[in-house]
Amino acid sequence: MPDWRGVARRRLTPLALDAKREEEIITELAGHLKDLYEDAIRQGKSEVEALQLALSDAADWDELRREIQLAANEEVGMNYRVKTLWFPGACTIVLSGVILRLLQVSSAPAPHVIWPRHDTPLVVYWQWFLCLPLVGAIGAYWSRRAGGKLLERVLAVSFPVLGPMGLPMLILPFMLALQGIVHHSAPLVPAALLLLGWVVIPEAALLLGALPFLRPATAGGRWLAGLGRARSGWRRRSGLYPRGSSA
Amino acid sequence: MNHIINIGSQVKRGSAELAILSVLEDGPLHGYQIAKRIESQTQGLLRFNLASLYPLLYRMENLGWVKGTWERPAGGRRRRYYRLGPAGKRRLVPLREEWGRLFRALNCLAGVTHA
Repeated sequence: MPDWRGVARRRLTPLALDAKREEEIITELAGHLKDLYEDAIRQGKSEVEALQLALSDAADWDELRREIQLAANEEVGMNYRVKTLWFPGACTIVLSGVILRLLQVSSAPAPHVIWPRHDTPLVVYWQWFLCLPLVGAIGAYWSRRAGGKLLERVLAVSFPVLGPMGLPMLILPFMLALQGIVHHSAPLVPAALLLLGWVVIPEAALLLGALPFLRPATAGGRWLAGLGRARSGWRRRSGLYPRGSSA
Repeated sequence: MNHIINIGSQVKRGSAELAILSVLEDGPLHGYQIAKRIESQTQGLLRFNLASLYPLLYRMENLGWVKGTWERPAGGRRRRYYRLGPAGKRRLVPLREEWGRLFRALNCLAGVTHA
């Protein structure tokens, strides 16, 4: 007999609900899958056909998980965007800000300064860059756990760059244009270095950490937990049978 | 040949709510029974799947329209049975009227008769 609880758990978690409620939902949906399977067997379908029929009852498990999260959380009244974007985004921006501030205190190692041109330094807070993947991972994990889609996860992760740098980056082209008009030369190289040091590299570091959590929940979970190990047979690959059971 | 109407994608949520509340009027049912009851009573025209049924049931439960309780019937396994709540009973009356009016309006307009 397929392990329907295992199937439901793998495909639906994390639901971002309290543990008891999550267990209830998994049990209930596993029961529904089992009923579908047993009905199909009674109707004379083969075991494989019955399995496929039961699993196809929810064509998109990610969508089902989001729908259940939304439905189950409606009573809380918290907005979907707040949970999936603003809270994780605020978390990443605060974390990255605190780390940067700690690195700026006098006892911390000085940032690395590169001089690509004699008059234009590129300040590289490499310690900060090293910490950013962790910040990105936390933000993406939080957003995904709350049911955030790919876009919300990426945006939540990008808050430390979009927040403090978003406004200056919007103003920058106008400043450059003004500079060009007044001094007949726009400081393109300093602007590009500023962009590189404070936007491009930090964003890349944040996204690098977020990468495992930008995948669909179950895949990311398996990857993280190291459960992506090879399993023999398509049934085991689909997680329908627990280890040790006979197919 | 029956053209199955996939609830959730083609029929408004209101009709799905009406279907669930209507079948629960006869007594408590678990999720799978709700889906099968609706399918059989509509001769297979309306069909709920996992994705359309449970999110809606949880919403209706939050609204107090239905109440789910875990029960283990004799000789059966533990299941969550849903029954109409007081708010659901109150909601059923206007829902029926609204859909009755809608079908009458469609009938006047396009000769659509409801089953």
